[in-house]
Amino acid sequence: MISERLAGKTLLVTGSTGFLGKSIVEKLLRSVPEVGRVTLAIRSSPRRPAADRLDKEVLSSPAFRRLKEELGEEGFRKLVAEKLTVLEIDLGRDGLGLSEAGRKELLGCDIVIHSAAAVEFDNPADLSAQTNLLGASRLVRTLSEAGSKAHLVHISTAYVGGMLRGRVQEELPLDPGLNWRHEAEILSGLRPVVEEESRTPEVLSRLQRQARSRMGPAGTPSMARTVERLREKWVKDRLVERGRVHARAMGFTDIYSFTKAMAERAVVELHGQVPLSILRPSIIESSLAEPFPGWLEGFRMAEPIILAFARRVLPDFAGLPDTVLDLIPADLVVNSVLAVAASPPGPGEHRIYHAATGNRNPLRLRAMVDLCREYFEIHPLRDRYGQAIGPPEWTFPPQNEVEGRAKAMKAAIDVAQWIVERLPAGADMARISDDLNESRIRLDRALEIFELYGIYTNVDCVYEMKHLMDIWETLPAAEREVFPFDPATFDWRHYLHQVHLPTVIRMSRADTVARRGKQPTGSTAPAPDKDLTLQQIKRREGRSDVVAVFDVDGTLIETNVIEYFVWMRLKAKPLAEWPAFFADIARGAPRWLTLERRSRAEFIRNFYRQYGGLDYEDMKRLGREALHEVTLKRLYPEGVRRIRAHKDAGHRVLLLTGALDVVVEPLAEMLGVELDCAHLLVRDGILTGDLAEPPPAGEARSTLLDGYAAANGIQLAESFAYADSLSDLPMLEMVGVPVAVNPDARLSTVAGQRGWRIERWPMAPGNWRLPIPDPRSPEYRSQFA
Amino acid sequence: MARPGAVIEVDRNTPPTLFHYGEGFRLERLPLGSRIVYPPDPIDPIGHPERAIRRALSNPLEDDPLKELLRPGMKLTIAFDDLSLPLPPMAAPDVRGLVIEEVVDAAARAGVEDVELIAAISLHRKMTADEIRHIVGDRVFTTFWPDRLYNHDAEDPSQNVLIGRTNQGEEVWLNRRASESDLVVYVNLTLVPMDGGHKSLATGLGCYRSVKAHHTVDTLLQSRSYMHPPDSALHASCVRQGELIEDAVRVFHIETSVNNHSFPAVANFLQKRETDWTTGDQAAFFALKQVTDLAPPDVKRAAFHSMLAPYGMTGVNAGQVDKVHDKTLENVRRQMMVPVEGQTDIVTLGVPYLGPYNVNSIMNPVLVVCTGLGYLFNLYKNKPVVREGGVVIIEHPCRYEFNAVHHPSYVDFYDEVLADTTDPHEIESRYEKRFAEDAWYRQMYQQSHAYHGVHPFYAWYWAAFTLQHCGDVIVVGGDRATVHRLGFKSATTLEDALEMAEQTVGRWPSITHLRTPPLMLCEVD
Repeated sequence: MISERLAGKTLLVTGSTGFLGKSIVEKLLRSVPEVGRVTLAIRSSPRRPAADRLDKEVLSSPAFRRLKEELGEEGFRKLVAEKLTVLEIDLGRDGLGLSEAGRKELLGCDIVIHSAAAVEFDNPADLSAQTNLLGASRLVRTLSEAGSKAHLVHISTAYVGGMLRGRVQEELPLDPGLNWRHEAEILSGLRPVVEEESRTPEVLSRLQRQARSRMGPAGTPSMARTVERLREKWVKDRLVERGRVHARAMGFTDIYSFTKAMAERAVVELHGQVPLSILRPSIIESSLAEPFPGWLEGFRMAEPIILAFARRVLPDFAGLPDTVLDLIPADLVVNSVLAVAASPPGPGEHRIYHAATGNRNPLRLRAMVDLCREYFEIHPLRDRYGQAIGPPEWTFPPQNEVEGRAKAMKAAIDVAQWIVERLPAGADMARISDDLNESRIRLDRALEIFELYGIYTNVDCVYEMKHLMDIWETLPAAEREVFPFDPATFDWRHYLHQVHLPTVIRMSRADTVARRGKQPTGSTAPAPDKDLTLQQIKRREGRSDVVAVFDVDGTLIETNVIEYFVWMRLKAKPLAEWPAFFADIARGAPRWLTLERRSRAEFIRNFYRQYGGLDYEDMKRLGREALHEVTLKRLYPEGVRRIRAHKDAGHRVLLLTGALDVVVEPLAEMLGVELDCAHLLVRDGILTGDLAEPPPAGEARSTLLDGYAAANGIQLAESFAYADSLSDLPMLEMVGVPVAVNPDARLSTVAGQRGWRIERWPMAPGNWRLPIPDPRSPEYRSQFA
Repeated sequence: MARPGAVIEVDRNTPPTLFHYGEGFRLERLPLGSRIVYPPDPIDPIGHPERAIRRALSNPLEDDPLKELLRPGMKLTIAFDDLSLPLPPMAAPDVRGLVIEEVVDAAARAGVEDVELIAAISLHRKMTADEIRHIVGDRVFTTFWPDRLYNHDAEDPSQNVLIGRTNQGEEVWLNRRASESDLVVYVNLTLVPMDGGHKSLATGLGCYRSVKAHHTVDTLLQSRSYMHPPDSALHASCVRQGELIEDAVRVFHIETSVNNHSFPAVANFLQKRETDWTTGDQAAFFALKQVTDLAPPDVKRAAFHSMLAPYGMTGVNAGQVDKVHDKTLENVRRQMMVPVEGQTDIVTLGVPYLGPYNVNSIMNPVLVVCTGLGYLFNLYKNKPVVREGGVVIIEHPCRYEFNAVHHPSYVDFYDEVLADTTDPHEIESRYEKRFAEDAWYRQMYQQSHAYHGVHPFYAWYWAAFTLQHCGDVIVVGGDRATVHRLGFKSATTLEDALEMAEQTVGRWPSITHLRTPPLMLCEVD
């Protein structure tokens, strides 16, 4: 019956680059070879013209693999050329952006299947309204105004009824008294409003505070970029939130079902003489059998929860254990679509169909979880150590309880992170910070899942399927074989264990077997040293256009500008004056720490005023002495090795630091490397305490480095930079091989996100000594004799 | 007459025995029947050192009196031993300072104006101003520092000249100032028989190219031991080099020796046998033990390194190198020699906080090997105390720590070389050249206070014979990872170590404990 009625017909499919659209086209080509023509409505994207999209986004899909195998490449291409055409349709414009020829082509269609939609539950409100609501209304209006007689099959969703209880009939959803036109106008016009809102002083200054706390020392350009990124994210989140809240307030699960419900109202109102069928599938999951078992594209609703379950991200889950989880395999939906397409109502009439499983073959949440557990007990996922993860035992507590627990934990982690970020950086701190970050990411994920999908497991209704089953009854047995869509015909255990769960695991690329090399071998021999940076150095051996830039304080030497100052001043002061000096330093310390956190340059400027009034030659002499007494003691052996590796490879080596010339020049001389550091102004042999040039910190480093590269013919994309703090970010960003050495918590986060190499260089053990000169030394005492 | 050294058998009445253990101590109960070798008590020092020095200068051995060698307008260079001698450093005044003052005074009286003093550091680290001041004394220091009193620099090509080659082809290099002087006066302090003689000048003012002639694994394997020059290939080579120098430069050699009064009054119990400890010694030991068990290494190190030894001078001789050195060795042996009957299966010894290369510094794991298995083990004449294939058990915490200023090449030697191999021959052939010629270590040696890049290799070669001779080496109380890196076995207690040693030497082994320092020389027959 279906093939007969579709034979020779011209069909138009919208949304054919999507999962369902693709599946419909494939099934048509494979099972209804007598079909007249299938026109794919595709819009040119900014990147690709419509015809290209057919090839790249539709025909290359695995869905067509079976067809290609059956027909051979040649036969397949012939079939495509014969049956498929592309029609450029833009659902975002009134009149669909059609040319006259296109219009004619549209009108020549016998059946129009509208499957285009923005299906993510967390889409921004304006996008959902545009695509789901306005797109559908434009299509139906164009058809009816042109006097088309084509049968319009509008794909909707079972959840248009909102959060109903009990049996849901195949009729228009309850109307909360909304005007779809008004809703569409409000929602699609939200973006300018929210953009505007994002630029209000309150929001912008809050975002700026966030950016400063995260990126402050990295300098103005980095911070500005961060603010803009945060603002864009804020706009998107806000639009999503507005959509969600709006939908929930109107009694819907999310913006998707809300806009779809409005769309149903719109198409019913506008369809005029066009025969209209509305098909409402429930949650579409991977195919049961066609084109192959487990055909699925993109993650939908159940998958994130299943993975979270298998990975133990969700230790417990809220939901009604006896609720019906209405999943439906995609091929059943495809067959339903074709069956409905082949059974048009009379002109001007509309009919609504549910495609769901809850009525004839219900799967309850508890059963689903039990089946999942059974499966993952046999095929567990593995953590990064190759250890099997046991699936959790879900007790289904009330939603607010689970969510409350997660939120409390998140708050605790936030507090811990706040503290850790403000503690002095060190290897231990970095490790704690990493751990916290990981827990935080897990919790965020869990909360997101609760927020998005939790509601579906609380839905307590069953979808009536009378209309669809009526068609089923009329199908001859042979066609029932070709186009099965009765949900009572399959077994959930088989579907989940053999089809769906393996598909989810395959698509998530999660480890299910412990890989070779991850298995513990019991060997206690030290692991071979795989130093990737050294390999990079080797690869650039002998190139004089490569530079290795090193920050000094914290990267090469475990020290900071304060310690040098203290040491040099103490060395020149009699013992009796030490306590007063220490008191001075202690008084200034909190202010310097705060400044340092805000901006490295400001801190350096402020601190170097301490040098005002000191004799330059004296300081130079003391700086030389500090080389042996402070610098070399606290030099990282690994850092020296690295510098030597670069020099051996023929690279230039540059120390770029905010430290003072008097203390770093002796070191640079000894290492035999170039140096760019801070200089203080000297008047009559006395230091003024003012800097000769802006301190080389933050973005100033990137300009310095740029200038250096231009002057020396350096290729920065091939060069190396080593640094320890966020204020060096601009410098790290410029080179091809950035290395974060002993990074502070904030740089560690950034480096982790960007996949930069993080190295931990320890001080030579046993050299921890406060930078205080030995007051017993005759050399020291002889100064005052 | 001081009490001579002794070998005591452990019986039921023997109190627990003291083991040095880095910057700390352990008391161990040795199995019944074990032997403990005690050093002789300090011999009586010379009453008036200054007078003895003056006498030696005016009655030299096979040479003219010093004042006859001095004349106005001449170039005089005074070279002296560095801070690796004596151990621990001598409480002021250092005997070298006394000798130098006499020489400088004599020169002044003779109207010599061009006088320079050079610390003969060889490939050791350059001493700091404070350290040089301690050796030469305030008066000389303020007069000559820093232009006419300085450290030898073995890596400055303009400051070293090739004197010639020995008949064995060994290169002989000498400090340029010394080679151009009309007279070189060498002021030595001999603590153990290895020091002094021709080795002073040939090595002290030489450079890597002359030192590498004899600081090789093969030479050291043929030195049985280098603590007894007649049986030492190392010293034979030094003598060849020194004789060549004597031909080229006029040398006036002054050697001093001190007794083994190594510990000041606060740690006097270290100087005594446990049976002789008074209540006061017991209390001092108990207090020090508690403190050293609890205090962090840094604090302990600072305290221990500030201890200076109240040595007394036992001899001073001047004149021709060989004649002087014979007299000196006689004095040194008089203080150090302990006759020991027969070899033993197991030797135990505690490695103290100090070796020649970590004065005012950290004894890193490589130096533990150098001090324990190099110097202390090799203090024998005729045969080692342990039989061939026997086991040496040392006690030291063996922490993974390094002084970054003094021992930069040691860190890399430990991290890179020892991670690869601990075999002296392999280390020598594969790594020595690279470290010796490394530009960074050279910089650190010349401009800072670092040991030469090749120095950790010599420290390791020093133990080469021990590694070859012994069946096993066990470290008690050491950091496990470090001990493994050094290629040894690690034990928590001495009892466990003895059990482990039995696997190598068999049941009921004979055990000898060397209760040193104070230093002694075991004459094994």
